[in-house]
Amino acid sequence: MALVSFKGTREGLSITLGEGVWRDVLNELAAQLGRPSAQSFFHGARVLLDTGPRAIDVIELEELIALLSQHGMTLTSVIGGPNSQDAFEQVRATIPPPPETFEVEPTAEIPAALPADTATAMLIHRTVRSGQRYRYSGTIVIMGDVNPGAEIIAEGDVIVWGKLRGVVHAGASGNDAAIVGALVLAPTQLRIGGYIARAPEERGRARSVTAEIARVREGRIVVEPWSGL
Amino acid sequence: MAGQVITITSGKGGVGKTTATANIGVALARRGQRVACVDADIGLRNLDVVMGLENRIVYDLVDVVEGNAKLRQALIKDKRLPELHLLPAAQTRLKSAVNEAQMQEVCGELKKEFDFVLVDSPAGIESGFKTSVAPADQVLLVVTPEVSSVRDADRVIGLIEAYEKPTPQLIINRLRPALIRRGDMLDTADVLEILAVELIGIVPEDERIISSTNKGQPVALEDHSESGAAFMRIAQRLMGEQVPFQMFAESPGWLERVSKFLRR
Repeated sequence: MALVSFKGTREGLSITLGEGVWRDVLNELAAQLGRPSAQSFFHGARVLLDTGPRAIDVIELEELIALLSQHGMTLTSVIGGPNSQDAFEQVRATIPPPPETFEVEPTAEIPAALPADTATAMLIHRTVRSGQRYRYSGTIVIMGDVNPGAEIIAEGDVIVWGKLRGVVHAGASGNDAAIVGALVLAPTQLRIGGYIARAPEERGRARSVTAEIARVREGRIVVEPWSGL
Repeated sequence: MAGQVITITSGKGGVGKTTATANIGVALARRGQRVACVDADIGLRNLDVVMGLENRIVYDLVDVVEGNAKLRQALIKDKRLPELHLLPAAQTRLKSAVNEAQMQEVCGELKKEFDFVLVDSPAGIESGFKTSVAPADQVLLVVTPEVSSVRDADRVIGLIEAYEKPTPQLIINRLRPALIRRGDMLDTADVLEILAVELIGIVPEDERIISSTNKGQPVALEDHSESGAAFMRIAQRLMGEQVPFQMFAESPGWLERVSKFLRR
């Protein structure tokens, strides 16, 4: 696998880090970004970093952010292991805003009512295991199970294409309109905005056999079978 | 051809890591493989006791790492099986006496001479666990069919993936068919459903393990114990043979299924 690979997405540029010594990965990235043909192409790009199996730490992440900003690029989100997430949470305040000149003019078509935090999503394509924790400022979509002992915290919605059995918090910044949906909805604890619901006390397997969706209605969290939005 | 390093770990203590290490070591040696068992549980060594070799220890892993003894001097040859060897842990030291690089070096040396190097990991997810996983080419995860053990195993799988090691293979230990039939114990399918990793063996609960452990005679030395046979099958699978899994508890009949469903 390549040390660094690039992919264009609707959200911006996705950079995936391969396995190998950190110094080599960083040098490879610098070489790729430094190619004359790349200069104008990458300038102003918003970057989504996928650290893959690598656990990136704060110092490494800061080096990477510095390199990106030399090329006029801005890191906007990080996916990968929970350590990488934590590192990003710690340094995100220090990231300079994207350069003004390349800002897309906001158009009138964007509905003002759309909550800002549902505009972006993080896709997690793996089983989230006990002790792992994902936090994201938008919606989190998981293709896989969320096992007991795992935590998913999103400022937007949480959608699990699998079994949700860990702790989940949607609308974590206080958005009571957020929803939690799962093929098997059996969380240890479910929070939406400022509301908390526990799983029923009786032990046993997930009772639901259909996909369900949890949302706040009239001051409490209710769970309903999925029937489309 | 170089051998492979297999680390046996679990997260939770008391689920049978050491017993599994000793028995898989015996089973592999009985099939003619050259095996070195390494006790990485420094300060709480047990593997020597379970293998019945305690009174032969002169040098240990820490002596080797610190240069007080050569690897060859510290290795103890088993009294029954000439292919089986033990590198014992130090009892008077702490986990910090050996670091990851040192463990990798020792296991790298052993790999040159042995077909299998089995590392018995300490319980927990602290430095001792990291040290014992560092040299692994393959990891075996011992889990008992209990919610707490499965939860810890799940955590350990996540950590091992984060260390960029291959996904562990699962040994379900101390399975009690009678309890499963009554619906009072997690069955194999329940455990696999949560952990979603490959199974390499199912070992039934066996009272003989207790007496054999106390006597330092691993059950895999005997021909007529169910648990010993289960460890033999694990050894065969490690050697690349296809061995069908023995299902110790039949799935419940339709009547039980219905009653279980109604109790949900």
